[in-house]
Amino acid sequence: MRATLTLQVIRHQCIADGIYELTLDGRGLIDSVDPGQFLHILVGSGDVHVLRRPISIAEFDRGILRIVFRVVGAGTRWLSKQYEGALLDVLGPQGRGFPLPSSVSRGLIVGGGIGVPPLLELAKRLAHRGVELDVILGFPAKAHAFYSDEFASFGTVHMVTEDGSLGTQGIVTDVVRNLHAEHSLSWSHFFACGPHGMLAGLQTYFRDQDIDGYLSLEERMGCGLGACQGCVCETKGLLNRRVCTDGPVFNWREVVL
Amino acid sequence: MNTAVDLAGLRLRNPVMPASGCFGFGREYAEFYPLSCLGAVVTKAITGSGRRGNPTPRVTETDGGMLNSIGLANPGVDAVLCDELPWLRQQGVPIIANAAGSTVDEYCEVVDKLSRSGLVDAVELNVSCPNVETGGLSFGVDPDILCQLVTAVRPLCTVPLIVKLSPNTTDITAAAGAAAAAGADALSLINTLVGMAIDVKTRRPILARGVGGYSGPGIKPVALRMVYQTVKSVNIPVIGMGGIRTGIDAIEFIMAGAAAVSVGTANFTQPDACVVIVREIEEFMRQEGIGCLEEIRGCAL
Repeated sequence: MRATLTLQVIRHQCIADGIYELTLDGRGLIDSVDPGQFLHILVGSGDVHVLRRPISIAEFDRGILRIVFRVVGAGTRWLSKQYEGALLDVLGPQGRGFPLPSSVSRGLIVGGGIGVPPLLELAKRLAHRGVELDVILGFPAKAHAFYSDEFASFGTVHMVTEDGSLGTQGIVTDVVRNLHAEHSLSWSHFFACGPHGMLAGLQTYFRDQDIDGYLSLEERMGCGLGACQGCVCETKGLLNRRVCTDGPVFNWREVVL
Repeated sequence: MNTAVDLAGLRLRNPVMPASGCFGFGREYAEFYPLSCLGAVVTKAITGSGRRGNPTPRVTETDGGMLNSIGLANPGVDAVLCDELPWLRQQGVPIIANAAGSTVDEYCEVVDKLSRSGLVDAVELNVSCPNVETGGLSFGVDPDILCQLVTAVRPLCTVPLIVKLSPNTTDITAAAGAAAAAGADALSLINTLVGMAIDVKTRRPILARGVGGYSGPGIKPVALRMVYQTVKSVNIPVIGMGGIRTGIDAIEFIMAGAAAVSVGTANFTQPDACVVIVREIEEFMRQEGIGCLEEIRGCAL
């Protein structure tokens, strides 16, 4: 039988404006994590906040997990105040993460804002296999940017900000176009997580190209277990699919954004 | 000590069941505990054809609970009979199938198929979904229309027929009386209260559909009052629900006269909420020297 887990916070860090990283001790409780999976975390005792918050796992190393989130409301504000020694009630690891196809020859990783964290574990795994990676990370501004150094260990990083305060000015699809069209780079696979508009932009950009790709979606969640049908996405099939359990990662050709 | 209850001829080992829509068809929660620990399982709403439901966002937390506007998403009665209920049948727990539709004919089709399948122990008629344009609530708020619907499905339903009532009405006892007069074997209440939340940054409603059903601890006093009023006004059993998250909450509903209780939103907070509630009911009975729930049922009336 499954059960919720109690994980201790062993490190608390503010890594950018409004962005927090918590390191959790899952040793003896969590044996493995697929890149792109998330933890469904109880806020307080659950008396005031009845819904858990889905937070993606940025990295997993021998039972130690790093999770990253942006403070957007009362629930994530509470989470941002859980310091070393605090205990979190979590469900997970939840969801279907990124597949690691053996056919990846050169990979493109595209992250936007709070969509960046789940791509870190993916980059690590692909790099360890010797896959060459181009990584494009987009943020509104320098103050919101994080993890460029972490990704630099695994591939060539291109930073892009909307206001130009760090890296190229623009949005991630501008950089994709630049690398592809002007520098003649091409990829066997792309992996992306970020705002809806960014994912839709990538779908449009790659529409006529022979490329495999995976998108990780974000949606407001209820149970996080696949029962409530709250967090669905539209697909080309007759029924919706559930972001929490059929996803959050989907084949880029399957979802309708 | 005995927690068993009799509900319109159904023998339940305890009075606790998940509320429709909060438990899927049971598979996800069966990973956390054997479903046979429950009094019954109430399925997600089942319609004639498969439905995608409403656009997202269709759930959001709000003070004291949450809002949903799922919109009866389900794979349709034929797929449910083929893919879900045979599995659920093997879990050793009574099955209450929640039936919904947009027209009287659709309700009749769903109830008829479920009833004939031999896979369900009771049918709960969903006449109170606030999240669809037609069907659902439009059948539940007008006692005359409700009476016509229950009268139409009654002869097709060979298992106990439960009618799930909406709180979004001036007088819930009028709907309760109409359902009972038309042949309902039991009532369940309350469904969600219509509510909304606005994102002040985007200046738009958070839910894509604008409004949704409010559930969770915040609605408990309203639900308890409506169960109390309904139990006094009809002679058929009532399944009470609305904001129950502890055994003590459940005991309150039983003292207000509920034959059994349903647990909804609490399943999202803690996946084992229902079994914890069963344990807490037993603990209360032990502490208070209560031998069976009949001793306290309706004692607050």
